[in-house]
Amino acid sequence: MSDGADSFVFQYLAPFVGVLLIAVGIAGAVPGGYAIIEPELENCGNPTIGVEGPEETAERFGGDEGPRLPQVTFEDLSSAEQTAFLTAVDDPVGEEQVVGSVPNADAFRRGSIVTYEGERYYVTLVAENTCFAAAPLQFPLGVFAIALGFLGILAPPLYRRLVRLEQRAGRSK
Amino acid sequence: MLNRAIVEGTALAVLALAVLLLWLRERQKARPESDGGYTTREEIEFEIGRLQSEVYRWLTTTDHRDIGLLYIAFGTAAGLWGGVDAMMLRTELLTPPADIWTPETYNALFTTHGLTMLIFFVLPVFFGIGNYVLPLLIGADDMAFPRVNAVGFWLLPPALLLVRMGLLIQVLGQVLNLVLPADAIRFFLTMREVSVGWTLYAPLSVQQPNPQIDLLLLGLHLSGIATTVGAINFITTIVYERGEGVSWANLDIFSWNMLVTSGIALFAFPLLGSALVMLLLDRNLGTAFFATEGGGAILWQHLFWFWGHPEVYILFLPATGLMSLILPKFVGRKLFGYQFIVYSTLGLGVLSFGVWAHHMFTTSADPRVKLSFMAVSIAIAVPSAIKVFNWITTMWEGDIRLTAPFILCAGGIGTFIVGGVTGVFLAVIPVDILYHGTYYVVGHFHLIVVGIIPFLMIAASYYWYPLITGRWYDTRLARFQSLLIVFGSFVTFMTLLVIGGLGLPRRQAIYPPEYQFAQQIATVGGYVIGLSALLWLYNMLVSYWRGTPVTTTDPWGLKATNQFTREWQWFEQRLMDKYDMEPTEPETTRRSYAPEAEPTGLAGGVGTVAQTVSRNAWMAAAGGFVGTVLMSGGLITAILIGVLDPVSFGEIAELVGLPASPAIGAVLFLIGGTVTWPLLFLAFSDYLPGRLLFETGLVFATLISSGFAIAFYTGQSGLAFVGYLTFVVVSHWAYGIGLTVTFQYLKSDEVLQTRTDGGG
Repeated sequence: MSDGADSFVFQYLAPFVGVLLIAVGIAGAVPGGYAIIEPELENCGNPTIGVEGPEETAERFGGDEGPRLPQVTFEDLSSAEQTAFLTAVDDPVGEEQVVGSVPNADAFRRGSIVTYEGERYYVTLVAENTCFAAAPLQFPLGVFAIALGFLGILAPPLYRRLVRLEQRAGRSK
Repeated sequence: MLNRAIVEGTALAVLALAVLLLWLRERQKARPESDGGYTTREEIEFEIGRLQSEVYRWLTTTDHRDIGLLYIAFGTAAGLWGGVDAMMLRTELLTPPADIWTPETYNALFTTHGLTMLIFFVLPVFFGIGNYVLPLLIGADDMAFPRVNAVGFWLLPPALLLVRMGLLIQVLGQVLNLVLPADAIRFFLTMREVSVGWTLYAPLSVQQPNPQIDLLLLGLHLSGIATTVGAINFITTIVYERGEGVSWANLDIFSWNMLVTSGIALFAFPLLGSALVMLLLDRNLGTAFFATEGGGAILWQHLFWFWGHPEVYILFLPATGLMSLILPKFVGRKLFGYQFIVYSTLGLGVLSFGVWAHHMFTTSADPRVKLSFMAVSIAIAVPSAIKVFNWITTMWEGDIRLTAPFILCAGGIGTFIVGGVTGVFLAVIPVDILYHGTYYVVGHFHLIVVGIIPFLMIAASYYWYPLITGRWYDTRLARFQSLLIVFGSFVTFMTLLVIGGLGLPRRQAIYPPEYQFAQQIATVGGYVIGLSALLWLYNMLVSYWRGTPVTTTDPWGLKATNQFTREWQWFEQRLMDKYDMEPTEPETTRRSYAPEAEPTGLAGGVGTVAQTVSRNAWMAAAGGFVGTVLMSGGLITAILIGVLDPVSFGEIAELVGLPASPAIGAVLFLIGGTVTWPLLFLAFSDYLPGRLLFETGLVFATLISSGFAIAFYTGQSGLAFVGYLTFVVVSHWAYGIGLTVTFQYLKSDEVLQTRTDGGG
């Protein structure tokens, strides 16, 4: 598979730099591209809440969570929070993302007791789901670095072709 | 947050499809012939009958070499799956907040990455290598229990599916959700990948409601049965099936290591099985093995690590066996201290069961008990060090051949030294209390599990590639790939050692911003490892069809150093029987590139000087035009993404007294690129470095790009400035290549014509 052409720069250095470029390019392009399409893809910027049922809540606080925790009734929640709360109660893992406004985010962040149909549920915020932000140039430059890196990886076979061409042309310095 | 199931499912599907297409394409392009491997481009017909018989053969084979290949293929597939997990979790760590995956997804990623890599990648691959070469090495016809061997392998695919079912079900659920209401497919939307960490610590693993955990436990149990069965087979084979003249005193080191590894597995895996059953019972039947009121959560840690730490040596010992087998072949010397290496292997086998509690130094176990584990953990460094010093001594004053297997061996010793020494630190209780649960631990064990272990797998794949396929792999690509994976591993995991030393906790999707740069370096290094794995895969697949056929019975020239071991003797015998080859004593001479023609300078040619100059000038102009067109592609892209301001082209027009219009500037630019710069190149090319004309062209282009960069700069800063400079340089490279390659192309045409015209 080798034809004996030998150049450290084109046989090893160029593909090595190429691989580095691809690696850096992926690190730039993937988050960069994700930042561009994220708003279309999903609901970011809204937190995921975790809801513990009445039994776990009672077990956790021994029936006395003291005055330190914010107390909220189900009716105080926004409609988006209510929907998420009810879904989380039914969810086997007990988590659901809020889709819409979260006026009680601070209370959830500290951990709060939500009273629903006379039962007490411990509600916490388990993930902020912050929107991903990246520099606008990150994506195009990342893609460019990947393309350039591919060229670097393809340098050895291209080099051998060029060597053959130069030999045919009968000129080598 | 990104949808993990969709992303990972797509990535794996693309990878599988790419492998399949590559394989089929190469297969169509080249086909080994029965007369020794001339390749033709003949079409292959896919006859259903032939496919059926092939499938039937692979499903029912009991031949140790077939099963070895099945193991290796399975392990590779699992390794790629676990590798995709790794790439995904490293991507999350590019930024301090959890903004690519949710924290739960991140937890699931490192959980499945660990389980897949340890249990379904490393062990199957080593069992595969063992299956293929061990009977050949000890002169056995086959494994002791061929059918049990096949069963041992075929338990693994369902085990892997059970363990990774969460992802498959998530993907299926999301696909079904497109057409069915959520209530009808609640089950598919409930299951998700396990996210409790690969160590499955109680009480979290007992209490987490995800039903996938139960499937995972069943899958792990199944894999444990498969491993135990395989281990029994290896032990029996080595003890009872050795051929003539193979005694305990001259049994090769790889077989010794497989024997000890299998011994460890025989004692460790049944214990894992029972611990898994207890956890299943705790989860589903309300037993209290790991409940605080019962055995306690620490009991799980004891049981788990009583398997888990020997498991580390089950993964590590085969790699050391391969090292001891392969390294001497490429340094032209026999293994130094064979006996001591055997003793150190046995020592590791015994000691590996006496160190499990060093994973639990931060628990509330009795300090005196912990102290004894600390002593044994420090002591276990001794047999490991014996191996390292013996390998170094083997290399000492050797006749080193810088092949891919050797690079991987040397790199493996390096990573193992760093990984091992950091392990000695962690064996010391006060140090461990500081570093427990930090990236320091991650760096330490990855330097071994992404160091010596896969390095030696890959080294073995290169070393035995001719034996398995009868063809050579692409040696240059292999050398490059080897250097790349060594580099990537060092960069990634040394970085993790540093940030762990600074105290960053592992297993956290969110980390303080001051660690971002280090995490980005580690991620880029991780991508480099991933890319090098893909290069290896490409080499293996393509070389199977396109590699140069082996034309000697001693491909590695082992006879010269008296290291022509049994598996190669078997290979020689096979070539003699199959192709009537003569046993060779090769005197390999490597051709190196030597230019055949004498340098003539650019002005050289046929006819008068004036003719030559004018010919060269128009050829250079043509080259310049092509180069400028290529260059424009790069510059237009730069303008489109906003790192180059087209206004700057207007300034060129102003320079020659025309109105400042970018269009006029672009035309002038094209004329300059076609006329001025090529003529300058002709004038200077003899004084610029570069053995070949295109190299000179690249140097020339790089030099003139500096002028362009200054002339067209319009105040870009930050990323835009980096992009601007990169685009300027790369566009100029395109110009240099276009100019010189076109020139040489026209020149070679001309030379050809003068030759056919009877000139020259």
